[in-house]
Amino acid sequence: MQLELLSRGGGGQQDPHSRAGLATLTAGLLDEGTRDSSALELAARVEKLGGYLTSGADWDVAHVSTGMLSKHLEHGLQLLAEVATLANFPPAEVARLQRQRQAELQRRLAQPASLASIALLQLIYGETPYGYSLLGTTKTVASISRDDILDFHRRHYGPADAVLIAVGNFDLAQLQALAATAFSGWSGSTRVDAVDLSPLPRSEPTIEIVDRPDAAQTELRLGHEGPPRNCADYAALRVLNSLLGGKFTSRINLNLRERHGFTYGAHSRIAERLGPGPFMVSTAVATDAVARSVTEIRGELQRIREEPVVGTELDETKGYLLGVFPYSLQKLDGITSRLGDLAVFSLPDDYYTALHDEIDGVDSRQIGEVARKYLHPDRLAIVAVGPAEELAPQLEPLGPIRIRPALEVDSDQPPSPPPSGPHD
Amino acid sequence: MSTTDHPATRLPIEEHTLGNGLRVVLQPDSTLPLVAINLWYHVGSKNERPGRTGFAHLFEHMLFQGSEHVGTNDHFRYVQQVGGVANGSTWYDRTNYYETLPANQMELGLWLEADRMGFLLPALDESKLENQREVVMNERRQHVDNQPYGRAMERVHELLYPPGHPYHWPVIGYMEDIAAATLVEIEEFFRTYYVPDNAVLSLVGDVEPAAALAAIERYFGEIPSGGGIDKVTAEPVQLAAEQREVLADDVQLARVYLAFPAAAFGEPEWYAADLLSTALTGGKSSPLYKDLVYTRELAQDVVSYVLPLEIGSTFIIVATVKPDIDPQEVEKVIGEHLEKTADAPPQQELERARNQLLTAHHDGLQAVEQRADLLSLYTTYFSDPSRLDREMESYEKLTGEDLARFGRTRLVPDNRVSLHVVPKE
Repeated sequence: MQLELLSRGGGGQQDPHSRAGLATLTAGLLDEGTRDSSALELAARVEKLGGYLTSGADWDVAHVSTGMLSKHLEHGLQLLAEVATLANFPPAEVARLQRQRQAELQRRLAQPASLASIALLQLIYGETPYGYSLLGTTKTVASISRDDILDFHRRHYGPADAVLIAVGNFDLAQLQALAATAFSGWSGSTRVDAVDLSPLPRSEPTIEIVDRPDAAQTELRLGHEGPPRNCADYAALRVLNSLLGGKFTSRINLNLRERHGFTYGAHSRIAERLGPGPFMVSTAVATDAVARSVTEIRGELQRIREEPVVGTELDETKGYLLGVFPYSLQKLDGITSRLGDLAVFSLPDDYYTALHDEIDGVDSRQIGEVARKYLHPDRLAIVAVGPAEELAPQLEPLGPIRIRPALEVDSDQPPSPPPSGPHD
Repeated sequence: MSTTDHPATRLPIEEHTLGNGLRVVLQPDSTLPLVAINLWYHVGSKNERPGRTGFAHLFEHMLFQGSEHVGTNDHFRYVQQVGGVANGSTWYDRTNYYETLPANQMELGLWLEADRMGFLLPALDESKLENQREVVMNERRQHVDNQPYGRAMERVHELLYPPGHPYHWPVIGYMEDIAAATLVEIEEFFRTYYVPDNAVLSLVGDVEPAAALAAIERYFGEIPSGGGIDKVTAEPVQLAAEQREVLADDVQLARVYLAFPAAAFGEPEWYAADLLSTALTGGKSSPLYKDLVYTRELAQDVVSYVLPLEIGSTFIIVATVKPDIDPQEVEKVIGEHLEKTADAPPQQELERARNQLLTAHHDGLQAVEQRADLLSLYTTYFSDPSRLDREMESYEKLTGEDLARFGRTRLVPDNRVSLHVVPKE
């Protein structure tokens, strides 16, 4: 079975800029000690039963999850209730987790794929919340005090915004009774602050090279802001993205991989967040093929905006999205995740049936409309993580470029965009 | 044919062999309207030879480039347009291909697999090979050469297994070998290994066994058997002295790898190694994790595992070193814990590890494609798909003394590879 408690106020969008990483640190500390148990006692209790206990946060929600055999339902619920209601953030654990976070931030500086995504989000969102990593930066994490964490927890966690998801082999009435008992003592009010999540305005392409002089390959990202998850065009956007770069047989992957051999794989994604998260194309390409890859990807974005999707391609894409749904429900975590989305995005219980029909009804005209409305190949932010010496001459013809050393990607201040105007 | 009752999920397993030697395993399960089709060929990188590495994996890529009746990118197209998922993977001992489809599309999956088993060669050509060589070289760059610590496991195996031993080289192969692969070799490889009597086909899902078997007979029955395959063997590995190396890499945090040769997957000692590994590092309350990561904060993380290899395995401990900590210090602490493995672990640690493996086992049975893959595995290596149901017995039988024997005889300094990956400069 899997039990998950979601706190809708605990997501990273609530981080103050100067305290980026606060939401994920707070969530990460929930299972590091309570009024009744130390971190090790909590771990020993769940691991003795063969289970796990984890906690964390994404942009829109914080979660505590436990998994174990269904016969341990009561233990699991008690454990979740204890960390949800009695977490007390022991000072030694706060300090330890901050040290661990700092080491993680350092480790990430050597991961080209992470560097590329972080640098791209900095370019798109600047100093707005989505420009910061959920983990924060070296400087913001160092500035977070235990009081910040206690305050964040008090303001953003409570029964009013919490949702319990339980998936497993147990009796529903028994679950309801046990959950009611386990969480009976939880009280308090919370709030979700309204946050401005708008990205930086940008009208031209912005190209950045993150220099890793000896890199064997180049990590490439292209993107710009996308729509919020709950926008009215969601179904059409799902189909659009799948056809463009979401599945193996998408245009971008077949172009870069099967036609040109530039890469092992390329894909695109439209983030699903309450705010306007990124549209991002990701790939790792041979360094001598970076400019050609950028041109091909931009070309695919242009093509889907300008040329109607004809033939069987649209039906094949819809067939994939509709047919693959049961596949996503095979495992506990898949079911938990589908149910969690209903809670986070305030969707009705019969939503997936309605979505099925909506996807089924998407036509070629809608694809063209949403492509023109949401894809902007003329003002993409572009990041290439690789050897600058080889990359700069290739990318200069495409627009003004800026070069940053890899170690500077964790800077506290996300960079402002490079000067606009044609490059000469 | 034999039918085994499944005590955990109460699902029967059926086993059949076609006239051409293809082994077929069926497990009907109508929980969801899906069918998983899983085909194992008993060939992997261990069937390669030095200088010609990466071949089994490159070949796997070629199997997605179409066959006589399936166009170049049509394999994925046909599967995805009905809502299916497909892929393949290559490992030291085997190569697998799989599709999970809506159950009413079972025959599509069988046809696709049969077409490439029976009719691949007419569709192969130089331009497809050229394209996939590039794709695989980029795969190697992405997963090995441009990845922090990417070369480490490759190096560990080069040090642990002597040159010429089939686990000495990496599954993905060396760059120059990938670049040198020829169409003639590809064809030869296909004729030797991609034959029904070197394969196991498992189906799990919402299918009626008799109808499934009839369809399998129809699609695969006429594909001719192969000419026999020499079994790959190797002497058990025992190091005469510790092998130490320091590898400078583009990383921020150092890492310590300690690797030991262990018994083959399926041997009682292999299960002892797996249980001991879980006892050592399975979760925050496990002794090595607690000591290294939680209490002393010398490491950012530590994991251990034993690879499920067919002719001798690798037991390995990997710890990522905290900033400003000497990797030697981390190695020393791991060494202290390894010395203690010469004695039986406390009973509660044994119980915790057993429960963790039991939960993981149930977790692994949830998805039809994982179950189908396990059925192919147990049939390919042990000719016994019912091991799926009995796997946990192998752990329940073990005593603390079995683990101590493994610790005493195998986890000793003279019998290990120590590789430190450290930041460049």
